[in-house]
Amino acid sequence: MHLTRFWVLLQFWVLSFAFTAAVLATPLKAAALTITDDTGQVLQLTQPAQRIISLSPHLTENLFAIGAGNLIVGAVEYSDYPEAAKNLPLVGGYDQLDVEGIVALQPDLIIAWHSGNPLPQIERLASLSIPVYFTEPRSFAAVSHELRQLGRLTGKEAQAEAAALAFEQGAEQLKAEYAQQRPVRVFYQVWEQPLMTLNGEHLISEGLSLCGGVNIFSDLNQLVPVISREVVLTKNPEVIMGGGMGEDTPAWLENWKKYPSLQAVQENKLYFIPPSLVQRPTPRFLQGTKIMCEKLQKARAN
Amino acid sequence: MQLYRLPHLLGLMAFALLVILLGVLLGSVNLPINAIYSVLTGQGSPLHNTLILDLRLPRVLAAFATGGLLATAGALMQVLLRNPLADPYVLGLSGGAAVAALLAMLAGLGVFWVSSAAFGGALFSTFLVFGLAYGSGQSSATRLLLTGVVVASGWGALISFLLATSQAHQLPGMLYWLMGDLSHAPSPVIPWLVLLAVLVLLIPLGRTLNVLARGALQAAALGVSVKKVELMIFGLAALLTAIAVTVAGSIGFVGLIVPHLMRMVFGYDQRILLPASALAGGSLLVLADTLARIVIAPQQLPVGVITAMLGVPVFLLLLYRSNR
Repeated sequence: MHLTRFWVLLQFWVLSFAFTAAVLATPLKAAALTITDDTGQVLQLTQPAQRIISLSPHLTENLFAIGAGNLIVGAVEYSDYPEAAKNLPLVGGYDQLDVEGIVALQPDLIIAWHSGNPLPQIERLASLSIPVYFTEPRSFAAVSHELRQLGRLTGKEAQAEAAALAFEQGAEQLKAEYAQQRPVRVFYQVWEQPLMTLNGEHLISEGLSLCGGVNIFSDLNQLVPVISREVVLTKNPEVIMGGGMGEDTPAWLENWKKYPSLQAVQENKLYFIPPSLVQRPTPRFLQGTKIMCEKLQKARAN
Repeated sequence: MQLYRLPHLLGLMAFALLVILLGVLLGSVNLPINAIYSVLTGQGSPLHNTLILDLRLPRVLAAFATGGLLATAGALMQVLLRNPLADPYVLGLSGGAAVAALLAMLAGLGVFWVSSAAFGGALFSTFLVFGLAYGSGQSSATRLLLTGVVVASGWGALISFLLATSQAHQLPGMLYWLMGDLSHAPSPVIPWLVLLAVLVLLIPLGRTLNVLARGALQAAALGVSVKKVELMIFGLAALLTAIAVTVAGSIGFVGLIVPHLMRMVFGYDQRILLPASALAGGSLLVLADTLARIVIAPQQLPVGVITAMLGVPVFLLLLYRSNR
């Protein structure tokens, strides 16, 4: 009796030792790819990722932009661009992940959005030894950086470099053309009820300054603050721009026409920006910025 | 009628006027007091005209009416249910309004439809609770209360479901509605008319209400037709609350605390208590809304956050002192 128990224990020790050794040995084998993510965490992959879970619509979009869309095995809701992204299997919404569904897809890389995804769920996934790469693109430079990093993660460096260069050059062109023009004071409306705008750290604000626009709320603390209508009236911006509920409903802008004391209303400088072009840090953001620049140029001409 | 309470009531009225004045002057931009004078005489700058006439005055008046409606409805509910924890929302009315309003927001409808949906939802919930509680014939305050509380929990579950499944960009709007927000209040005319009409209607009935507040049996023994009066109170309180919710979303706390506060100050006579509650509720909400606009200006808070922060310490202090 005692003897059998001893044997069982011994087997257990031997096995667990072997297992530990195996685990310790794995990273030594071949870390073909060492990469640091946006949170400073160092990631080691033995080979470029082949089965990717993308936990944000913008990540899906960027993966397609570098020609790695076919490597995505699961995406979150609202991954709607490009058209092919709509057919991807869903693994929940970006703020509520289907952990079991993700595990079942046997991914070799999860690309997560640091400020958007629920951290406890991601930690749960990481504890199942699935590599997790965190991104947090908040600026033009971060978008091209993300494109290049995604290229390294998927082994599509050349295409990623091309996409990143196109994005950078496009931004440089806009800057050269517009940044030195007459500054235009802009109120950018993100949402109507409650009335929301964005501060200077937001990507859209950077896009505005590229076009020679000045965000009148750039010095607020919150990234996307709720503000009062009256402070917009007193700051009296030259231009009001913003999106809407849908792609072609500038109803929010119409509401401002109730206040004829506004310069933007008097000079009819209310401009609609298609929200899908500016709400994600992806190459499409460049198109959105271009539209903003053209609208501001129109405002300067009047 | 306790006429010696009248000076208190006049004092409360003066306080209400002062609070309204403050609400018009203070905001992201503070105005000098003579700005009001020049705007009212038609000599104000265009900016001051817009600020005062288009933005602040309607909002302050809407806030006052909403607070008055809620406090009056709360006082009525406390008489009807003879329960100190009763408030305008205890019978599930705000839950019904919230579910309808959130559905309208999810459908991407505008402010007008959200408000209309809230009103419809409130009425639907009222009829639901009423039908379930009184439908089987025998009725009691306890049965009504229990029905209301359970229906309210049902609405609560639906609200959580809607919040959990909605898109991220719609959440701020929904949460602001649920916490109560006056930034999109429609014209204050209807809430004022209803508030005044109901108060005028109720004050002659004050004696009946006083008797009823002591208990249904006593009231019946004294010749009050209890069921009829209860029905009327229920209907009026529901109407008041539905309009308040339509204007500003579900602002908690005012309807519960203000009637208690007023009872501590003015005693139990409903003929004084109801108008006093309306004045105090209105003042509290205007004060809270003004603070919500200026605390972290130019950023805005929903008013519901402030009502409780203001009211809780005041109420606890009064309760503590009245105990000694």
